[in-house]
Amino acid sequence: MSAPLLWAAGIAWILAAGLGLGASRRVFLWAAGAVSAAGGAACLVGGVLLTMRGRATATVLGAGDVVGRLDLRAAPLASAFLVLLGLVTLAIGCYAPRYHKPGRGTAAYLCAYNLAALASLAVLVAGDVTTFLIAWESMTLACSLVILRHWRRAGVREGAFLFLALGEVGFAMVVAAFVILATHAHSLDLSVIAAHAQSIPIGWRSTAFVLALLGFGFKAGLAPLHIWLPAAHPVAPADGSAYLSGLVIKLGVYGVMLFGFELLGHGPVWWGLLVMALGAFSALIGILYAVVERDLKRFLAYSSVENVGIIMTSVGASMTFSYYHQPVLGAFLLLVALYHVVNHGTYKTLLFLEAGVVEHASGIRDLDRLGGLVHHMRASSVISLVGTLGIAALPPLNGFVSEWMLFEGLFQGFRVHSHVVGVLILIAAATIGLTAGLAVLAFARAFGIAFLGMPRSAEAARATETGQPVLGPGLLAAACVALGVGAPAVLVALDHVVRGVTGVQLRPVLLVSNLTVIPGHTNFSGFSPTYLAVFLVAVTVVPIAIYAASRPRGATQRVPVWDGGLMSYRARMQYTATTFSNPVRVTFQRLYRPDIHIDRASDDPAGSSGPVHYRTKVQPIFEQYLYRPIARFVKAFARLLQPIQSGDVNQYLLYILVVLVVAYLVYAW
Amino acid sequence: MTVPGHEEDRLAARLAGDIHGLFGRSLHIRTIDTGSCAVCESEIRLLLAPHYDLHRLGLFFTPAPRHADLLMVTGPVVRVMELPLAKTYAAMPEPKLVVAVGACPLGGVFDEDEIVRGRLDQVLPVDVFIPGCPPSPLALLQGLLVAVGRLAEKVGALSFVAGEETSK
Amino acid sequence: MALWFFRGLGRQVVTTRYPSVLDPWTAALPTPPSFVPSRLTTELVHRLVESCPSGALRQEDRELVLDVGACTACGTCQRIAPDAITASGVFELAATSCAHLVKRVPIRGGDK
Repeated sequence: MSAPLLWAAGIAWILAAGLGLGASRRVFLWAAGAVSAAGGAACLVGGVLLTMRGRATATVLGAGDVVGRLDLRAAPLASAFLVLLGLVTLAIGCYAPRYHKPGRGTAAYLCAYNLAALASLAVLVAGDVTTFLIAWESMTLACSLVILRHWRRAGVREGAFLFLALGEVGFAMVVAAFVILATHAHSLDLSVIAAHAQSIPIGWRSTAFVLALLGFGFKAGLAPLHIWLPAAHPVAPADGSAYLSGLVIKLGVYGVMLFGFELLGHGPVWWGLLVMALGAFSALIGILYAVVERDLKRFLAYSSVENVGIIMTSVGASMTFSYYHQPVLGAFLLLVALYHVVNHGTYKTLLFLEAGVVEHASGIRDLDRLGGLVHHMRASSVISLVGTLGIAALPPLNGFVSEWMLFEGLFQGFRVHSHVVGVLILIAAATIGLTAGLAVLAFARAFGIAFLGMPRSAEAARATETGQPVLGPGLLAAACVALGVGAPAVLVALDHVVRGVTGVQLRPVLLVSNLTVIPGHTNFSGFSPTYLAVFLVAVTVVPIAIYAASRPRGATQRVPVWDGGLMSYRARMQYTATTFSNPVRVTFQRLYRPDIHIDRASDDPAGSSGPVHYRTKVQPIFEQYLYRPIARFVKAFARLLQPIQSGDVNQYLLYILVVLVVAYLVYAW
Repeated sequence: MTVPGHEEDRLAARLAGDIHGLFGRSLHIRTIDTGSCAVCESEIRLLLAPHYDLHRLGLFFTPAPRHADLLMVTGPVVRVMELPLAKTYAAMPEPKLVVAVGACPLGGVFDEDEIVRGRLDQVLPVDVFIPGCPPSPLALLQGLLVAVGRLAEKVGALSFVAGEETSK
Repeated sequence: MALWFFRGLGRQVVTTRYPSVLDPWTAALPTPPSFVPSRLTTELVHRLVESCPSGALRQEDRELVLDVGACTACGTCQRIAPDAITASGVFELAATSCAHLVKRVPIRGGDK
């Protein structure tokens, strides 16, 4: 039943791309959005049905040996990602018509976006290497077109270039990894490669694994391969950024999972430890750069880096536990990773869509100039609050459940019989703990400064909700709540997926009495997200009800907030985003190496007074110390080789002669 | 100035009884200086000293008007302090009392001009007036206890004519 | 139990109330004036009204009106007419209404 739905989704997106081309007229814009959303709904339902099946099915389109043939495979591992793809495209389909204005740029954009969705679907259902690679590259190209929507604005071309460049470097590595495997397994079919995994020599498998990890890590945004995220996300349109962060980086995670759990079989312990280390590092780096970021969208981009790090930590820990004969915990952490993929996709998409709403309503992305949006943008504030609670991992929402499960899984590192590895797992858990704390700080800052308090600029004071999309983000907010409160149901579905991937039956040690989640072992811990949600609602509602019923019936007096009796409370007296995150900036200043400039009217304390200008800029250390040296080396090497391409015809004729002679000699022997 | 009639006396007596029931044993005081010379503040501060010890009577100072029951105002109510005074008064929950301390808010020392309002009862409804420049801490204590209904007012019956029965 | 407790009880010192017996030094506190009506003349009253730095004294018909609230107990009026004005010795001056603080003293000394 799932296959027809996935076909329907693909066809819907092709149709939406065609309709999108006519989006210079309003009716085509809405039609494209509606069809795209319908495709998303079909993909969502198809993905859900696929999770319940737990087995892989294969289809072949066309004939021929390598070219002209599409091998498709609906596998359990891809099913969770298909659910996410459906949810994200459904929400963006509802959002896009109200966000974009009809026009030629929008037409090109919608066509590119729907083709990107189609390509993502193809990546997830690819059955052999060529289909996967073609779909992957198409997705990268379509996404770069999505980023280039406003190509005349500042920073857009740089962002798209970084995305494309790093994507191509990653693609090269992925091709190399696939080629290694396909050569050794003598087949391009992914199922055949997976079956032959153990027979490939371990050295080649390790090389393939590292290449795949780095190659897919570029797309996933794993630090230090993440620098395209903060460059591309702020300049892409909001739904484009939402699609990038919500889905595209998850495809990188899918790639790593595909290699780690299916195509390569069991490997040495350092695979899992490497993934876990990179994940923990990425999580910490991501949130540290997020906390001090002023631009709302760049902040969300760094937060995506953080969450990808969390997912990768879970994947790495899963591989480690499996190596140390703890299949239950290994399967449990894989389930946590998949659950976090879906959760993060949901709330990050929601937050990016809401960032787009804020940007359209007020015209500013700078947190230091926003404020007080809750007064005139009620629905958007509530929806953003749900998304913020989710991503900050606060109960009873989905982020809390998945991070709780991750911590419970990591804390069981003592079950591993190697002390060193146990300590490493614990260090990863501690890093993720620090990350989670900083994430709460970062998102309290983002939501509080942007939505609460008084407006810090005239544009923020003028922002209203009229004409802004609400349905798309609202659907995602409802999904966040459902994924959290209905976690037991979601975990049952993911349990099928994990059983299909690892073969471990997780259900009895995952869900006790149908509503309580336990992390793989009954003697460790457990909690029920459903009961917790009910409890939290009751604890809030019951006292309010008692108060409302017993309140004295006299008139209520409403007086202004006590502000110390100041003559006028100005918006500039509030916290700004920069000051709120200052403790973190000062604590971690060795990482940030901030560039601080202070301009005073006079340094003499008794001298003339005037405004003091304080400028601080965080140094981009990855660009400075990693990418620029490599780029400089490549340029220097190219300059070294430049004489080969001299433009002299005689030299080229000499080359032809040399190659002919060498080829003859080689053939002769 | 009008002399209170019989009905008003009865209502006042009932209100006094309510006030005594509410605040008689525990009262939180918020002081505000509307431009005084700060000598009244020194006398108010002395109330916490061991000799006078306000806390033994169940009276406390609080900086937060949301927690305060009684607003103690010193100073001649300069016009720029009218807004903070009004905000502080509005921030106090009902029931609340207002006490004017010193000669300044009672119209003495400074006449009304463009800087100074002169009288507190033109701005807020005042419950107790405590004259003095400054009133000694004992006078302040007596004034506060009159405000919460634990002591009876004395000065109304006095005539300030030397040698008469009702003058001290 | 400490001896001071019984000593206090014996001296009727109740610490949770306003003192029933005031300390002796309260007799020296500056207080508003008391007037002798028979020694007040219109001309003296005129001089007193002009000299009060706080504006607590004014004349109405045949009465000298003292606003106890406005009085700062500076003693100026007592220095001008020491035989007509003495310190009242009253410092417990809390009043629940302005009207209770306005005191009228008849001028019985004549027009001199």
